[in-house]
Amino acid sequence: MNAQNGKRMIELVEVSKWFGDFQALKAVDLAVDLQEVVVVCGPSGSGKSTMIRCINRLEKHDRGRIVVDGIELSDDLKKIQEIRREVGMVFQQFNLFPHLSVLENVTLAPRQVRRWNKAKANEKAMEHLRRVRIPEQAHKYPLQLSGGQQQRVAIARALAMEPKIMLFDEPTSALDPEMIKEVLDVMEELAESGMTMIVVTHEMGFARAVADRMVFMAEGEIVEAGPPEHFFTSPEEERTKQFLDQIL
Amino acid sequence: MATRVDTLEPVPAPERPPERRLPPREWARENLFGTGFDTFLTIVFGLVAAWLVYRLGRFVLVDARWEIIERNITNLMVSRFPRDELWRVWGALLVLAASLGLGAGTTAAMRRREVEEGRANSPQRATALRRAGPALVLVSVLLWFAQSLQATLLTIAVGVVGIGAFMFGRRLSLQPRHAALVVLGGIVLAFGVVTAFDGVGWEDWGGFMLTVVLAVGGILLAFPFGVLLALGRRSTLPAVRVVCVAYIELFRGVPLIAVLFMGAFMIGFLLPPGVDRPSLVTRALIALVLFTAAYVAEIVRGGLQGVPAGQVEAAQALGLSPVRITTRIVLPQALRNVIPGLVGQFISLYKDTSLVAIIGLTELLNVSRNITAQPDFLAQGLIVETLLFASFVYWTGAYWMSRESQRLERRLGLGER
Repeated sequence: MNAQNGKRMIELVEVSKWFGDFQALKAVDLAVDLQEVVVVCGPSGSGKSTMIRCINRLEKHDRGRIVVDGIELSDDLKKIQEIRREVGMVFQQFNLFPHLSVLENVTLAPRQVRRWNKAKANEKAMEHLRRVRIPEQAHKYPLQLSGGQQQRVAIARALAMEPKIMLFDEPTSALDPEMIKEVLDVMEELAESGMTMIVVTHEMGFARAVADRMVFMAEGEIVEAGPPEHFFTSPEEERTKQFLDQIL
Repeated sequence: MATRVDTLEPVPAPERPPERRLPPREWARENLFGTGFDTFLTIVFGLVAAWLVYRLGRFVLVDARWEIIERNITNLMVSRFPRDELWRVWGALLVLAASLGLGAGTTAAMRRREVEEGRANSPQRATALRRAGPALVLVSVLLWFAQSLQATLLTIAVGVVGIGAFMFGRRLSLQPRHAALVVLGGIVLAFGVVTAFDGVGWEDWGGFMLTVVLAVGGILLAFPFGVLLALGRRSTLPAVRVVCVAYIELFRGVPLIAVLFMGAFMIGFLLPPGVDRPSLVTRALIALVLFTAAYVAEIVRGGLQGVPAGQVEAAQALGLSPVRITTRIVLPQALRNVIPGLVGQFISLYKDTSLVAIIGLTELLNVSRNITAQPDFLAQGLIVETLLFASFVYWTGAYWMSRESQRLERRLGLGER
């Protein structure tokens, strides 16, 4: 859980992105090191989600460079696939596959992409399901589970590919309040285990506890970034102050 | 700080809502005779319904001269299929019963495993009989008209082989993939039993047999073709998209009869010289498939649009290839959502096979009409009997498809709240 390990895992250099005429990202620079946990916050429409969605090419950046684990993201589908294998993602709406059981959700990608056999994939999947504390739901279907359970399955599904990096796109925003904690607990353990993470969230308690670095975005730009102690107590930018006043 | 730990049975059985079941008299008073107007409607429609049932029942049971069906039952079933080669049809039926039974047995075994793992509710009791209901009624009526010991015994043999294969398949517990191969192999083998070794080419098939072959063949071919067209219509490649859109719009804009005529007369011109023109049945089947695929494509496209973008994103984020995303994530969800529309289209195709009569094929409906011109039955107004019979045969098939599709929906819908 410290940023001084040196190895660069993600690097964004002057990344810009347009949706039609609207510029969602304005020359964003961001670097994330191995085992670093970066929490991104900011008002809606500030480009947080767009930024992390560019990292695994769910959105295509229009300008700038993105390098993930030494691989530069380009139109080359092979490279995109390589990066996606190393980067796990958890979505606000879980996006579990409703026609597959929990176990099948978790084993699908390892079997299809990593080419593991069924026994190995199942065994590993159960490990991850235990890690997110729902091994007993393995044979149920996603829609039979609560929101918090679904999100934990989604985390297990992403972990099953054994990624080096995890991206979280507002993982608790769609959850009922009493289910937020069970998901945050799992994420906290993951951070403690040394996973490199970028988390877009408004859960400031979580951010304070887990983040190595806070990033505040507004209108497609990174307004301020720094260690959480500093960020929460004495932000330098006026816009950061305003935002923190509103949500704290 | 303690995290909630889930248990297998988190909730005790909840209190059930009070049951509300009325005795018949109360039910009738509430639903049929609630107000004066209700009573009026109930009596009027009751009388009309009773009258219609009486007239139809009286015609079917008393007035109708079913002799025309009895004497022509073989004609209706196979038309001009050579009579001394009929054993081939029975042989094919036995092969089909064996392979389909095995396939069904495999499905049943899979289902039982799912239930044991707690992934599915246990199926309702006595569904087997209910599911076979329409088929049993149809077969009984056909045998009644046939009044043939031989046919009855052979039918029983087919049934026994089918049930035996089902039991065997349930014990054997094949991989679904292998079971699908067995079924496919069974269909090919059955086809071979009829046609191979100086058998009867399907240009000589007719009657209900031809109806079924055209319908099943049409469905099996039009479905994958239609799915490909639907996917093509959403392709990112403009050329593929344009071709698919053009195809779909072209064939949806032309009446089936026109497509059948074109199939009958134009396919010959389109082929390079030196290639033999396929038989009329083949051309009719091609026309039915080309036409139906366009409709299937639009139904499937509706289903594809119903799959949330997040599903594709999640699959992409996991590193699945575009082909796998389509086959493993998008299509299963899309198709499940359009089962009612698809089955509607397939029922439509089943009944529209009767249109091949206009290019000279003698399927069930055509035979039904032709036999009224036999010397013994000419100009006696027996068309009513033959049409009733043909309609009944069509109806049992269509009803069976409709029921099976509802079952499939319920089953696939499991796990969805």
